[in-house]
Amino acid sequence: MAGMQSLKIGVSGVRGIVGQSLTPQLVVGFAEAFGTYLDGGLVVIGRDPRPSGEMVLNALTGGLLSTGCSVIDVGICPTPTMQHAVVDLGADGGIAITASHHPAAWNALKFCREDGVFLNQYQAEELLNVYHQGAFVLRPYDALGRVGVDEGAVNRHLSKVLSSVDREAIAAMAPKVVIDSVNGAGADFAEGLLQKMGCEVIAINDVPNGRFPREPEPLPENLGQLCDAVREHGADIGFAQDADGDRLAIVSAEGEAIGEEFTLAFAADAMAARDAEGPLVTNLSTSRLIEEVAERHGRTLLRTKVGEVNVVERMIATGAVGGGEGNGGVIDPKLHYCRDNLAAMALILQAMAQRDMTVEQWRRQFRTSAIVKDRLDCPAGKTQRVILALRRHYEGREIDLTEGVKVFFDGGAWMHARPSNTEPILRVIAEADDRETARRLCDEALQVAAEAGC
Amino acid sequence: MSALSGEMSRPLKITIAGVRGVVGQTLTPDLLVNFSQAFGTYAGPGRVLVSRDTRSSGRMVAPCVFSGLTATGCEVVDLGVCPTAALQLAVGRSDAVGGVAITAGHNPAQWNALKFCRDDGIYLNARQAEELLNIYHQKEFTKAAWDKLPPVGTDRAAGERHLEAIRAEVDVDAIGAAGLKIAVDCANGACASFTPDFLRSLGCEVVAINDDPELPFPHDPLPTPSNLSQLRALVAAAGADAGFAHDADGDRLGLVTESGEAPGDEYTLCLATEMVLGRGDKGPVVTNLSTTMAVDEIARKHGRDVIRTGVGQVFIAEAAVNYEAAIAGEGSGGVVFPRINYAHDSIATLAHILGLLAEREVPMSALVAEVPKYTIVKREIACPPQRAYSVLEDLRQDLEVSWAEEINLDDGIKLSASDRWVHIRVSMTEPKIRVITEARAQGLAMDLADKYVRRVERLL
Repeated sequence: MAGMQSLKIGVSGVRGIVGQSLTPQLVVGFAEAFGTYLDGGLVVIGRDPRPSGEMVLNALTGGLLSTGCSVIDVGICPTPTMQHAVVDLGADGGIAITASHHPAAWNALKFCREDGVFLNQYQAEELLNVYHQGAFVLRPYDALGRVGVDEGAVNRHLSKVLSSVDREAIAAMAPKVVIDSVNGAGADFAEGLLQKMGCEVIAINDVPNGRFPREPEPLPENLGQLCDAVREHGADIGFAQDADGDRLAIVSAEGEAIGEEFTLAFAADAMAARDAEGPLVTNLSTSRLIEEVAERHGRTLLRTKVGEVNVVERMIATGAVGGGEGNGGVIDPKLHYCRDNLAAMALILQAMAQRDMTVEQWRRQFRTSAIVKDRLDCPAGKTQRVILALRRHYEGREIDLTEGVKVFFDGGAWMHARPSNTEPILRVIAEADDRETARRLCDEALQVAAEAGC
Repeated sequence: MSALSGEMSRPLKITIAGVRGVVGQTLTPDLLVNFSQAFGTYAGPGRVLVSRDTRSSGRMVAPCVFSGLTATGCEVVDLGVCPTAALQLAVGRSDAVGGVAITAGHNPAQWNALKFCRDDGIYLNARQAEELLNIYHQKEFTKAAWDKLPPVGTDRAAGERHLEAIRAEVDVDAIGAAGLKIAVDCANGACASFTPDFLRSLGCEVVAINDDPELPFPHDPLPTPSNLSQLRALVAAAGADAGFAHDADGDRLGLVTESGEAPGDEYTLCLATEMVLGRGDKGPVVTNLSTTMAVDEIARKHGRDVIRTGVGQVFIAEAAVNYEAAIAGEGSGGVVFPRINYAHDSIATLAHILGLLAEREVPMSALVAEVPKYTIVKREIACPPQRAYSVLEDLRQDLEVSWAEEINLDDGIKLSASDRWVHIRVSMTEPKIRVITEARAQGLAMDLADKYVRRVERLL
């Protein structure tokens, strides 16, 4: 039964458990659908180092070639590296083989378009229609695509990041950095970047073999080893990556995991200080910390539905100075419209150097805030009823219905309840001045949802 | 009939000889990953070697095969482009549990196929292939967990090891001393990267055409006389001592004499048999029911028996093993040298015929002239696969056998007399019924063919 439950096909891609639902058949089907959707052309494929990645890559390659697409394999690399390569190579699309922060048994496909941005909801639905209709356009033997390898993608990405920061300032500070790459895609590259910026680097979990020594999601509870290492080495900062290099968390010199919400807050602060124009963009579930950044730099803050592509499309439309998501995903538009740990580390270290500031000092510039994230099993068929119940429950308060229900309380507190894009759950997130209040706001919504049939 | 023509034109053959289809139509990535998982489930766990011929679609087929095999937990070793015989040798001489050859042999470029071999390097026999097909149809494949998926390995030396094994079996010094000038047409197939250098290593002067594995097939990669006009012209222009033509994956060999004549497919096995029996290799000759009677005469001359099998490489290979044959092969130009391998092997065949040329010190045309003269006529009749066997059964029930001394029903119907025979059988690879006849006199062979083609057509 686990196998029956493990397949997720949705607008954010296709994800399953290897050996159960993520089969070669499924992958070639999606590859043929994507090749049919693109109507031929060049597709860049990158993957995280999960051991199943090569099996998935081979199935994807076969499927894409059969539709006349050619494939450029950029190998094991962070997801943002693949997105950069799509633009660099003038490709027609890209695919990341990564289940991101999910455990090692999972793998997934994420599809991006010619501008190196993931398919938006409408495009993803078109792709799913092609997949489900199954009328793939298969080319004859003399019109099949070819396979190439691009070993330079990571170095180009690193060079772009390096040229975007003040390396001298960072080198002058010569920070001691511990990086925990969870044996994921960013392992060797992150270390190289930090060294080139003049950091003293201690790398842990830095073998990109896809055997995750901790849960790959960079949440504080998963970062005990990193916190210990930061203290042990007397480091200035610790960085924790997820498996595919698009979510980053920070540990202070005191060895405290300050929470992944601060990653975007810090990076947004750095981006807003760097460039004169443009709003900041984030999603509805992201901490209010970024509101302080916007206020400090006199910028508008725009909020979108959750999902990288939603933030990115708003950033492009508004000429944003910076953006990202509260789960640790930072988007620096000067580099590319993708969540990028390498860019985030560069921005954060640069700002610390230029302002001669520790992580703790930077954190204290923000008001005290606590965010609580919870979830409740909620089959898709019940979500609408639950959202309706929540809206009625909070009648009279300020409510945003852009995605699910977001309710605003006194003192800047808020609660956001929304059905997940990737799992049959209701996500409930609340933020307030203190943890007790945030917890209470969260629990109230969970109870309403449960009573409504979740 | 017209209602069936749509069915007939759907180019897919899933048989005990493997799975064969047209790229862009029936040989889809989905079919390929399913078959590869079926084979991984059947043969695994363990190492599986994979080779391909030079067809451009091989680049699409190979990753599908890798993915399917890996998903079942098999460790794939990619041999790249090499003759199928090199794959079979590598499987047989390693701890691999099986092999997959990505090749449609002599079929045109739009086709491709998977052929499966077992741990001894021989293709699956009928019973084994049926087991594989049962797994395929049931679609209950072994699914290895994420941490049990071995990485894909590569071995690009299998082709060279194959050549080394052939060199060890021929008189290299005698061939070198003969100072032969050899023209070769590799059809831009799997032998293109191997044969010219191999011939030079034997001391031959080489004139090679269609020796670029990156280019498309210059003609159908079937080394039958109608496809050898370029080679014949080359032999004449270069003044070569002989010309040889490969198919796409190094199974079959075609011959051209120093005078630019293409004597026909059947001569390949005849000359190889003369060589191997002449040097005294022990054991009978194995060949199929459709192959020339000249083989019987050559065997008789050397005091050997001939064992006849159904048409198909696996029947030849298994009989060669079971009867401890000196040599085995088919009239279509595929020859097995049991001292090397139980595979149809065109490079080994070439080397052995060079050995015969060197030993006898006569021109190629003289070797050809030694072979007893028969005329063989090959015809084919399009027939929907769902009708083919019942047509043959109808024919069997209504046989006019007054002239025949022997009736063999091992593979279709074969009627033989001392000076002629007719073999009517269902093609394993195409929706066709084949009628092959042979007689000393050309007119007799043609008449026999006309007669039985008409009888089949009446039954359709």
